Amino acid sequence: MNTCDWPLLGPLQWTSYVNKQVRVKAGKDEEHRGWLLTVDPVSASLVLVDFGLPGKASVQVVMGHAVEEVQVLQEADQETTERLQTSFLPPTPRRLDP
Amino acid sequence: SIPTSAEAEADPEQLQKEQHARSMLRETFLRCLLSMANRKVQFNMYEKVKVEATFGASDIDVLNFQVSDLHTPIGVQKEALIRSQDVISFTYDV
Repeated sequence: MNTCDWPLLGPLQWTSYVNKQVRVKAGKDEEHRGWLLTVDPVSASLVLVDFGLPGKASVQVVMGHAVEEVQVLQEADQETTERLQTSFLPPTPRRLDP
Repeated sequence: SIPTSAEAEADPEQLQKEQHARSMLRETFLRCLLSMANRKVQFNMYEKVKVEATFGASDIDVLNFQVSDLHTPIGVQKEALIRSQDVISFTYDV
């Protein structure tokens, strides 16, 4: 799929890429692979996560304006989805009641 | 920023769905930005320029990144703003 118009897809279409392993071509000769954590709806930038050792991960942010092509490689299994969704939660939930 | 789609403007139910998706995506992105603060980040920029810096913050419309100790080919810049239009991608480890 050619997605030179990636910034124009919109939130519902971007959401369909979340939790999938994608290959992103950006700029002239950059290529990135990783699990798509989210897409910033303001700048259309993609956040890709690559898991290494337990507790370690490498995060790549690809700017929306530089995206040439996005290709889905595979869907995440249950474990990967959970790992993705819990990676950036706040350390301790804050209580709002006095 | 990116406007709502044409269908969403015509259909309130579609608009609500779109706004919900937008807020979920944005919240995760903001949490990700928070986790980036004070970390070493490598920027891949146009013309094959790669620079390292300590990430500080981004403005709300993601037009500029504020960084410290920017390692440029001619020395270390203590504080700097990087225009996001000059950046292709950036990476960091958590």
